[in-house]
Amino acid sequence: MELFKPEFGLIFWMFFVFVVMFVILAKYAWPVIIKNLDERAEFIDKGVEYSRDAKKELDNAAANAQLILAEAQKQQLETLQEASVLKNKIIEEAKHAAAIEAQKVIDAAAVSIEQSRREAEMQLRKQVSALSLEIVERLMRKDLSNNKAQIELIDKLLDEMEIKN
Amino acid sequence: MRKREFYISCTFVLIFLNVFSIKAEENHSEKAFNVKDVIFEHLTDSYSWELPFSHTHRLYLPVIVKDLNGKWHIFSSKHLDGGNTHKGFYIAQDGDNVHKIESVDEQGNKYRPLDFSITKNVLAILFAAIIILSVLLWDAHWYKKHPYKAPRRGVAMVEIVIDMLYYEIIKPILGEDARKFAPYILTLFFFILVANLLGQIVIFPGGVNLTGNISITLVLAFMTFIVINLFGTKEYWKEVFWPDVPLWLKFPIPIMPVIEVFGVITKPFALMIRLFANMLGGHIIALSLVSLIFLLGALGETVMGITTGVSVIFSLFMKLIDVMICFIQAFVFMMLTTVFISLARVKEHEHESKKEEQQSTEITE
Repeated sequence: MELFKPEFGLIFWMFFVFVVMFVILAKYAWPVIIKNLDERAEFIDKGVEYSRDAKKELDNAAANAQLILAEAQKQQLETLQEASVLKNKIIEEAKHAAAIEAQKVIDAAAVSIEQSRREAEMQLRKQVSALSLEIVERLMRKDLSNNKAQIELIDKLLDEMEIKN
Repeated sequence: MRKREFYISCTFVLIFLNVFSIKAEENHSEKAFNVKDVIFEHLTDSYSWELPFSHTHRLYLPVIVKDLNGKWHIFSSKHLDGGNTHKGFYIAQDGDNVHKIESVDEQGNKYRPLDFSITKNVLAILFAAIIILSVLLWDAHWYKKHPYKAPRRGVAMVEIVIDMLYYEIIKPILGEDARKFAPYILTLFFFILVANLLGQIVIFPGGVNLTGNISITLVLAFMTFIVINLFGTKEYWKEVFWPDVPLWLKFPIPIMPVIEVFGVITKPFALMIRLFANMLGGHIIALSLVSLIFLLGALGETVMGITTGVSVIFSLFMKLIDVMICFIQAFVFMMLTTVFISLARVKEHEHESKKEEQQSTEITE
């Protein structure tokens, strides 16, 4: 029956040691450990949630990027089309402007040609009239240079000749 | 890693070879083998501790006793070895106080002095406490140093246990009280576990039948009793003394209150007996199986050889079960403590809501 008899000394020591151990552990070990476990669990939960959100956002961003890319491509196409239209227009305009310019130049040239032709004609006429006068002078041996009516007659004759030509 | 294990096993083999050769020489001079004495010597407390691999060398522990005159005596238990008497104290060989220190008063009557000796069990309690304190304080230190980090190796091993107990048992059962009671429950668990496991180690720092000693389990159960009743709510006490039963069961003769009060006491009592009986049984079986070799050894060498083989196999099997029991008993003690605390922490509104639920179900039915 020795086994079933509680021993006072042992009970005292057991109680004493256990209480001391409990006080030390309850003060320095358990709160730290449990707090840390709790905080870590929370931290991990939050981390998982955060990464899940981040992944979702990333997926969204990828989808967005796709959309933006498509949009950009569309815009690019449009811009290209516009550009080509614009190019054609510019070319057309340029052609038009060039044509006008050319016309202007041609016109100017024509005018100047006409002028020079007229000048030349006048020159020619003068010379011809002078020559004619000389010829007539020689022919008639008569100085008709002062005779205005004679010169007018010759001029008229020359005009007629010109029209014939 | 493999090299280290090889060296360790080699060392063990060498030690055992050495020890057995010494033992073989010693055996001739030993007296006849008494199974009951051997088993009881291992199960009970003693004033000295046998050192490993030696029957002759013992660790003599201090004896602290107070005699009838109120005088304290402190001396080594070496003086009491072999039935010697020192300062009037001796270890009783028979009677009520067998294996305990006794003294004789002036009238010649034997009496038991107040005995605060550091016995084998006391030293084992200290060892267990030192192991627990160093492991857990180291753990706490580690956690302080590495917040938000997953532990490895030793700290992780302890953490698995704490994590399981705290998040699987304590928190679901106690709810918001978990943090308040976790230190006590966890300390209880670790003390029982370490004490149990120390008991399974056969040689010096272990091998003590600590949790199979009624004094130890008495203290553990008593502390649980205190915690349960100290933190019991008003509702708990109402349920004990004025339970929700028909009036005749509690008014003139308080049948139910008596039963309830009995229940308050039997709960920790059952804890005490369960742990004590389980661990004691484990030790007795382990010792019996080893003793079998020596008992049947008398029948000849062939029989002894066969029994040795069988005993070793059975012992190994039992040891493995014992290791499991060490954990299970600590776990059961701790879990029941948690449950009892939660039962004492009942709140009134819980009951009301339950009643309301019942009423509503009745109405719907």
